[in-house]
Amino acid sequence: MASHDSQYQAVVGKSRLSTAVAHAILVAGLVFLLAPILLIIASSTHSTSTLQLGGLQWLPGDRAIENYARVISFEAGFSDRITPMGMLGNSLIIAIGVAVLTTVLSFLSAYAMVFFRLPCKGFVFWFVMVTLLFPLESRFVNTFGVVVSLGLINTHAAIVLPALAVALGTFFFRQHFLTMPKELIEAATLDGAGPFRFLKDIVVPLSISKAGAIFVIAFMIGWNQFLWPMMISTNDDLYTLVRGIGLIGQESGPGMALVVITILPPFFLLLIFQRWFYKSLSV
Amino acid sequence: MSKVQLSNVTKTYPNGAEAVRGVDMEVESGEFIVFVGPSGCGKSTLLRMVAGLESVTDGQIQIDDRLINDVSPADRDVAMVFQNYALYPHMTVHGNMSYGLKNRGMPKQEINAKVVEAAKMLKIEDFLDRQPNQLSGGQRQRVAMGRAIVREPKVFLFDEPLSNLDAKLRVQMRIEIKRLQRRMNVTSIYVTHDQTEAMTLADRLAVINEGKIEQMGAPIELYNNPATLFVASFIGSPQINLLPAMFDGQYLSSGDLKLEGFVDLPQSKELVLGIRPDELRLSDDGQFPMRVDIVEQHGSDNLIYGAILGAEQESDEETEFCFKTSQDMLPELESNLTLGFDVDRALVFHKDTGERLR
Repeated sequence: MASHDSQYQAVVGKSRLSTAVAHAILVAGLVFLLAPILLIIASSTHSTSTLQLGGLQWLPGDRAIENYARVISFEAGFSDRITPMGMLGNSLIIAIGVAVLTTVLSFLSAYAMVFFRLPCKGFVFWFVMVTLLFPLESRFVNTFGVVVSLGLINTHAAIVLPALAVALGTFFFRQHFLTMPKELIEAATLDGAGPFRFLKDIVVPLSISKAGAIFVIAFMIGWNQFLWPMMISTNDDLYTLVRGIGLIGQESGPGMALVVITILPPFFLLLIFQRWFYKSLSV
Repeated sequence: MSKVQLSNVTKTYPNGAEAVRGVDMEVESGEFIVFVGPSGCGKSTLLRMVAGLESVTDGQIQIDDRLINDVSPADRDVAMVFQNYALYPHMTVHGNMSYGLKNRGMPKQEINAKVVEAAKMLKIEDFLDRQPNQLSGGQRQRVAMGRAIVREPKVFLFDEPLSNLDAKLRVQMRIEIKRLQRRMNVTSIYVTHDQTEAMTLADRLAVINEGKIEQMGAPIELYNNPATLFVASFIGSPQINLLPAMFDGQYLSSGDLKLEGFVDLPQSKELVLGIRPDELRLSDDGQFPMRVDIVEQHGSDNLIYGAILGAEQESDEETEFCFKTSQDMLPELESNLTLGFDVDRALVFHKDTGERLR
């Protein structure tokens, strides 16, 4: 047995005990992260009365079909204009809008900061980074005033635009661009590539996986928005899924079903992008 | 076929550092010029100024009598091969080689013909569809050269292209570069810190030190007739033997050693005597008693390193000489040899200015 252990140690480079401890920690983390999701999925198959009497449920119930059917046929609002499909549409428009525009904007701003000779480049970069200290919530009142003066109240644009300035994206792309060897730019310059060609032919193809990661993160930010859409829209047509959860009631079977449905699109997105996502985060 | 002319070219960085201080040079059409010097001497900066990757602070750079100081790198009609290859990692070999031509709006068929022709010349035609990360270092360097060749530039610029290769491959590629340059007859400027590379490749060699050309000429001319102490010690492998000395009108003396046969040297000035390792010979009436420290067997010849007994010492270290001899000479370690040299072949330098006196 002892010789087995030492053989194992020689191959794996760790003792069985330390491997076991590492696994225990990982499993604990996994349980911690997955438990709320399993709780929600299980609860979405119970009746509202079970949930209200007994709290959230760990085991599956028998009301799944009814709950999900109820969510799909759900109508609410002043003139029944809040529907699941409508909310899904709004959520997608906003999340994709935020994701696409954030990715493009932070990509271009980082490109300018790294590859162009700008005056006060360092200052501009740190100024952008400082905006991280001011999340959207801290500038609601001013931003509201700006949106009103632009006449954008009750539009998708009003929800999307203030969320675009994600300094994290700029930072992320900047760090990535800085790892590109400067000879690459010089070779491209000698090959007759100007700033646009260099962007299109060299930088973009080499940044796709990073851009995928930023896209996913920005999508989540857009998808999970709650407070700001509530402030800036009074129109029932602009309801998103996340806001809809409040409408339908949280401690109800259909409410739980809606939560599950709300989780799905970001989940599938992550599933699709996960290879790129992890690749770009691990570098 | 193009000539390159540098007149009083200067590079001063914004922080005041002077990288290149007034370089004048004329590179003839089809000539292979090598810039050689220690790292930080400004040789790469000078090359990059010709390429247009560094601005020119002062002076003029001309290619075929056309002033190119303010011409963009792409319009200078030069092609450069980088040390780290700088291949586009996401493009195939074909893509890498054709990119510059595509940007110039050349028709696709013509590009293809050129790429295939260059690939054949470099023996990489089987790899055209591969990506750089599927190639070995040597193959990558060939692709980098292919990218330069297809452009049919007026001037080839090489920035230490072989430094990332292993020793054997380096020799192979060195010969190939020379062959290629002969065949294409394109004016070339090549930067290296490797003096063997410099000696073997160059039609003419420019030894650069602290931003200035120390001496320029055919490699063998620089070896035989170095103008300064710096050139003498930089060119030649193994390095030239140097001995601190003074002249008293009759003898050139160093410590207890008194060397005869020197005339017309400045008296009571610090001098340096230089003797190439292959100029030394074993001789009973020789001038230098040597204690053998190390014997290196290189195959066809042996290098014997040892201290010259009685010679003046720089700091605490004994003055070491290297003696190049045939493979059958294998003295015992710690044994003593007596070495002689031909006074006519010895070089004498001024210690402070480095200027050669004879």
